[in-house]
Amino acid sequence: MERYDLIVIGAGPSGLSAGIEAAKAGASVIIFDENEKPGGQLFKQIHKFFGSKEHRAKVRGFNIGYQLLKEADEAGAKVELSATVLGIYQDKEVVVKIKEGIKHFKADSIIVATGAAENMVPFEGWTLPGVIGAGAAQTMLNLHGILPGKKVLMLGSGNVGLVVSYQLKQCGCDVVALVDAAPRIGGYGVHAAKISRMGIPFYLPYTIKKVEGTDHVTGVTIAKLDPSFKFIEGTEMHFDVDTVCVAVGLSPMSQLLKMAGCKMDDNPRKGGQVPVIDEHGQTSIPGIFAAGDVSGIEEASSAMIEGRQAGIYAANYLGYIEDKLMKEKEDELDKALDGLRQGMFAPSNRGKKIEKTEEGIDISNNLLAKGFVADEEIERFPGVVHKLGIHPVMECTQNIPCNPCQDACPKKCIKIGSKITSLPAVDESVDCIGCGMCVASCPGQAIFLVNENVGEGMAEITLPYEIYPLPEVGEKGIALSRAGHPVCIAEVVKVRTGLAFDKTAVLTIRVPKEFAMKARFYKKEKLAKSV
Amino acid sequence: MEVRIKEHPILGEVKKGRLVKFTHDGQVLEGYEGEPIAVALKAAGVLVHRYTEKKHSPRGVFCAIGRCTDCVMIVNGEPNIRTCVTPLKEGMTVDTQYGTSDEPFVKELKEAK
Repeated sequence: MERYDLIVIGAGPSGLSAGIEAAKAGASVIIFDENEKPGGQLFKQIHKFFGSKEHRAKVRGFNIGYQLLKEADEAGAKVELSATVLGIYQDKEVVVKIKEGIKHFKADSIIVATGAAENMVPFEGWTLPGVIGAGAAQTMLNLHGILPGKKVLMLGSGNVGLVVSYQLKQCGCDVVALVDAAPRIGGYGVHAAKISRMGIPFYLPYTIKKVEGTDHVTGVTIAKLDPSFKFIEGTEMHFDVDTVCVAVGLSPMSQLLKMAGCKMDDNPRKGGQVPVIDEHGQTSIPGIFAAGDVSGIEEASSAMIEGRQAGIYAANYLGYIEDKLMKEKEDELDKALDGLRQGMFAPSNRGKKIEKTEEGIDISNNLLAKGFVADEEIERFPGVVHKLGIHPVMECTQNIPCNPCQDACPKKCIKIGSKITSLPAVDESVDCIGCGMCVASCPGQAIFLVNENVGEGMAEITLPYEIYPLPEVGEKGIALSRAGHPVCIAEVVKVRTGLAFDKTAVLTIRVPKEFAMKARFYKKEKLAKSV
Repeated sequence: MEVRIKEHPILGEVKKGRLVKFTHDGQVLEGYEGEPIAVALKAAGVLVHRYTEKKHSPRGVFCAIGRCTDCVMIVNGEPNIRTCVTPLKEGMTVDTQYGTSDEPFVKELKEAK
């Protein structure tokens, strides 16, 4: 039997953060994870995170993973991998399967940070090889460098469905449709807009009727739903695909807590069976804490903060941190957590239809139903202005807690203000120098630099671009609209990459000036010589 | 169908172990040492990992992180090995699992003939 002050179960964003804080306070800490590699799902998250500096905004998920591992190492928290916790028994005895052996551990406190598992919806053909979880697609693409398929249909328009669709497209997969049974897109509008302009169509409220194939997926049929979630006859659509990706939410993996005898709550708002916890993340068993998705589905940024809090509470329970210091740290982290839990997508707004932004502007209904802001809607948002010369156009239309653009601009021409969810506005008294920092720093890829008149009837649009091969200066291709429809021929005039852009290439295209407010993406295309 | 990503726009060059040989249902295939068996199979175009005991329906990878156990196969003679989290080693034998056996179901065999 090995003894530690604290056992943490799960080395994802929450568990690592918890272990770091407790170890920093002086506790002896061991973190178990059943996987071969630590980091939970962080190493698959290759997009830039939302939030503000304190939430590590605009840093890509996998880089946050490396930062956490380094911190855990420096703090002296031991991470034991390929270690599956089989059970939590009386007096905080923990039985762990490490490789092929069973070992016993004991601690004075336990933090459970086991995360969540993907949900599934059963439809005809759902067990066929080729029907996979969206998380599986992410794992294949970003950890193992393999395409899950060539032609993919995505079910689910939450952030996972939207982000994974983008990642599939980034690697050259053809995402033929994004389907959701809900009448409105569930995830961030900017994530939806990003894939809409790449040409992925949204079908809402539709769902899968049948997946076809004998030994593996060869096609899928979707159909529209009426308000009582019944198929409307005659609305069926068929797609030839080899893969169907399912992104229909997550459920907390709280079995260990239930087994330990913690009081549980069946809470649909939190994603399912969660432990009942007090304001310190403590379960009904003194000394056993829960943090991250296991105590309610959110996302990695809030899981990291909850983890740090749990680490501090456990350290206090163990006697390593005095009440006063705990309170100070708690208040600071509470503030950071509150920052993330604001805006339209705050947990308290889940399921609600929001009609207006905090600024009193009508929400883009087209964005919610189709995945892009319509031409006639875009002008009403404060980030969209017209002026002489190059200037930012920020197509950020929903209140989400995110503000890296404000710090990115060296000329300070982007204003969000102290409220992190406010829509960004352009300070028209300051001249934009066209550096592209805001374009590359926006986690939602919603910022464009537009010069509406560069002479000879042409305009230039600078946009974020993350697909290989990168276009070359001088080449001509097709400019796509927000809806992903071809609008005109575009010439690439500048391709900028740089360390500060962190892998987001900043591409400038030249189009006829009547398309300055319409062209929002560039598609490489072999054009006939005559054009 | 080439499904391996050579260079990823965000993650850069995809790094793998050395190329090794293994067998799948007796046929020699190649994959990279250390990558999950399921990934090597996928690259080789193998999608069906097993057939279920009762309904004989085909199953493949679903979660890819070792949770759902849909992708289990017979590896080096041992059944129920989660191929999505088991690293590939040189000379491994990987066989389709029928129920929990490596013997194809008799009915299907007859039908195939």
